[in-house]
Amino acid sequence: MPAQAPTQDELYREAAETYAAALERLARAYEADPEVRRDLLQDIHIALWRSFECFDGRCSLRTWIYRVAHNTAVSHVILQRRKRSQTLVGLEELDSVPDHREGEWAADRHHALERLMELVQSLKPLDRQVILSYLEGLDAAAIGEISGISPGNVATKIHRIKNILARRFQEGGRHGE
Amino acid sequence: MANESPPNDRLKCVWQNQPSEGIHMSVDEIRRRAGKFHRKIYWRNSREYVAGLVVVVFFGFQFWRVPDALTRVGFGLMIAGMLYLIGQLHRKGSARSLPAEMGLASGLDFFRRELERQRDLVGSVWSWYLGPLIPGWVVLMVALARTNPGHLRHFGLTFAAFNLFAALAFVFVWKLNQRAARRLQRRIDELNALEGQR
Repeated sequence: MPAQAPTQDELYREAAETYAAALERLARAYEADPEVRRDLLQDIHIALWRSFECFDGRCSLRTWIYRVAHNTAVSHVILQRRKRSQTLVGLEELDSVPDHREGEWAADRHHALERLMELVQSLKPLDRQVILSYLEGLDAAAIGEISGISPGNVATKIHRIKNILARRFQEGGRHGE
Repeated sequence: MANESPPNDRLKCVWQNQPSEGIHMSVDEIRRRAGKFHRKIYWRNSREYVAGLVVVVFFGFQFWRVPDALTRVGFGLMIAGMLYLIGQLHRKGSARSLPAEMGLASGLDFFRRELERQRDLVGSVWSWYLGPLIPGWVVLMVALARTNPGHLRHFGLTFAAFNLFAALAFVFVWKLNQRAARRLQRRIDELNALEGQR
């Protein structure tokens, strides 16, 4: 007898159990205000649960979860930008403009995380998707599948991300060069 | 964290191990909140329609009250314009919940669709938001001038200034939206360029 397909609720439970922390990190990367972030995270969970109505296994569960989460967060960014008129930058700009704190390694985790978050939150939505997926440890193929960016472009963006991160967070910074 | 791995691996580690608030929601809780979310959207949209309908009722009352045929035509056109505007607001601009099939669209596709939707909304503001009110407005102004010639002689300048101000406000709103549409188009072009390089 063929195994029964998991129900919407079962899929959601699995997603929430496996990816709860990753979704929380994702919400944090898209919204700095803790109160609004709580709402965004709740919206992501609701969107996920609703989306499992349509999940047909055409892509992996991981890809589906990240797509829904990023797409919900992007809608949030679009809405917030209209309210806050926030200026976001692309990886290309970040890569070409030196940061005044470049080479100054954040001595403790907390400081490093704070600066990393600041950098991620300043990025345009698609670049933010790529850097977040990279920091979550996904490979280029998975990043391409989630973001819809071509493999060549994903490779270029990852190269830029590595440059930016190495320049901004290198331990000992320029002294070590 | 000293020297055990390349800096980017350390950063990934810092990222993935950031403190979590451990927010957990049961399926029942999600179901309850989803229902609440839909009701919120429903009431938000309803408020907009009610505001539009209040204006329609006001014009309807004026339509019924005034004896002059041309003035009635003017109010009738204003009512038709408002109803068209409410319909378009519902079709294009109403608050909505995100589609359930969101997982089928990649980030790029979804983002582009959202930007295109907004571009179309603001780019066509003349045809669905401003334009429908103009015929009624013009007919009302002509009717007002025709039925109150003495009034017009005394207050001609104020009357002209008022209409000029209204026209300028319309042009200002239109230009503002055109600029927003061009900005959105530039962002869409950037996304198309990303896709074109596949």
